[in-house]
Amino acid sequence: MSTAAKPPLKRIVLPVFFALIFCFIVLQFVNRPLITNPPVTGEIEAPAQVKAILKKACYDCHSNETNLRWYDKVNPVYHMVAEDVTEGRKGLNFSTWKDLAAPDQKGKLWEAVNQIIAGAMPLKNYTAVHPGAKVSLEDLAVLKKYLSDMVVSKPADTSKTNALDKQYKNWTKETAAQTAPSVSSNGIAYIPDYKNWQVISTTDRVDNGSMRVITGNDIAIKAIKENHINPWPNGTIFAKIGWDKIADVDGNVHTGAFKQVEFMIKDDKKYASTKGWGFARFKTPKLLPYGKTKLFATECVNCHRPESANDFVFTSPVKH
Amino acid sequence: MRSSYLLLPALLLFLVSCSEKHPDGASLINKEASLPAAFNFSKMGLKVITSSINKKQGTMSTLYGNDLALNTAKAGRPAQPGEVLALITWKQKDDDRWFGAKIPGKLQSMEMINTTAAPGAAATVTYKHYDGDQMALNPDTLVNQERIKYIFDQKPSVMP
Ligand code: HEC
Ligand code: HEC
Repeated sequence: MSTAAKPPLKRIVLPVFFALIFCFIVLQFVNRPLITNPPVTGEIEAPAQVKAILKKACYDCHSNETNLRWYDKVNPVYHMVAEDVTEGRKGLNFSTWKDLAAPDQKGKLWEAVNQIIAGAMPLKNYTAVHPGAKVSLEDLAVLKKYLSDMVVSKPADTSKTNALDKQYKNWTKETAAQTAPSVSSNGIAYIPDYKNWQVISTTDRVDNGSMRVITGNDIAIKAIKENHINPWPNGTIFAKIGWDKIADVDGNVHTGAFKQVEFMIKDDKKYASTKGWGFARFKTPKLLPYGKTKLFATECVNCHRPESANDFVFTSPVKH
Repeated sequence: MRSSYLLLPALLLFLVSCSEKHPDGASLINKEASLPAAFNFSKMGLKVITSSINKKQGTMSTLYGNDLALNTAKAGRPAQPGEVLALITWKQKDDDRWFGAKIPGKLQSMEMINTTAAPGAAATVTYKHYDGDQMALNPDTLVNQERIKYIFDQKPSVMP
């Protein structure tokens, strides 16, 4: 071993080392994406304490006031940061907050706090370099209280009762005559059979004042019986049915008007680009498909992402 | 040179340890809310009729029924022979995966209604109430009539 070969250090390692340095320097200049800060058109309004938390923990990626430190600007880090900022702003931007309708603002805030609780946000690789951006338990308590205080529970609400009555009349006198099936922009057609499937669980959503029942097709029910639910088998379909809430005089809450039905169809090949699930949402009794383009599914995936260790499924099934 | 041989496994180990752990299926089941297997509830093939929440008691219930029960309720007709209805009630608990949601916690009770043909009347109603840790049949019949009325009064949820 030691006889013929010269020590390889000078012959190989040094040139490689310098080549790498050279590449690194070149990398700083080529193909440099540009992060600009577009104008702040309608910033979120919130108590100072709440806003301070969002600013320190989220604004770098979810506002038009991105503040990059020198070490963020070194490639290849810079490329990753730029990608995060672009993607981050797309899904949530506190600088253009007022473009969202009031209920959507509320929904986004609950989603934001839930992503923090789940440990999904701020991104871990970001807090590793920016420890000051971490959301402490005290911060989280402030955010949770802010949200809880926003919930107003109205008792009997006549507009909701009227909406239900109207729907109910049409629904109960419906004949077998079927209209053309509704199809989502990603090609998934409405599945009328969801109401004949067995129940997996129910939820009482305090955040948006709705009630939900989650049903599953036979493949889903069999998987639950056998505990084979992580990952869920191909062919599994879930339906989540959502209604308004209507409280009666005794404080009993019943389902109000039908809002929507959502589906998740498992096929790890066909739906590989959306984490193995085909997503679709049909709104109102007219079953209007949600989402102008098939990109709407990114929204579904992003909110379900904290459940990535559970095959992107939130519901913990109740065996029936 | 040698070090590169070490580096690769080290890097792999690092990546593996960073990748998330996937809990096994059984641990993802909501066990305290699940029905005793002995009830064979799912074999009855009942469908959801409606769901409700009792804020004062912090419970949530789901009403299930067979086709006849659903159709009778939708048509607003009195009970027909052959109906099967089940009202299951849970204590609510906070959903630890979604701040802002409540889901079924401990299973609290199961109420079953069966209707059979009766001479002279529309149908005979049998009511059974199971509760407690063992979901045992509750012999108390004091509130039976009230509960039967409550269950039959439920309006089905709109499901287009
Ligand atoms: C380093 C950049 C970065 C930081 C800091 C960050 N996020 Fe994100 N966020 C992203 C990216 C990128 C996405 C897109 C989805 C993904 O890749 O996970 C995202 C997605 C989201 C979404 C889903 C949006 C949608 O499409 O519906 C929410 C909600 C969210 N972030 C909340 C927060 C909150 C709240 C904070 C602060 C506590 C925060 N994020 C901090 C980068 C970031
Ligand atoms: C803001 C967050 C959020 C978004 C966006 C979202 N979901 Fe969900 N989804 C949830 C939560 C939370 C649950 C758990 C049940 C509940 O509490 O309502 C859930 C449950 C479901 C379920 C039942 C299976 C499960 O994972 O528990 C289906 C089906 C579903 N969602 C479909 C969709 C579809 C389709 C879209 C997009 C059109 C979507 N979701 C977008 C939060 C979201």
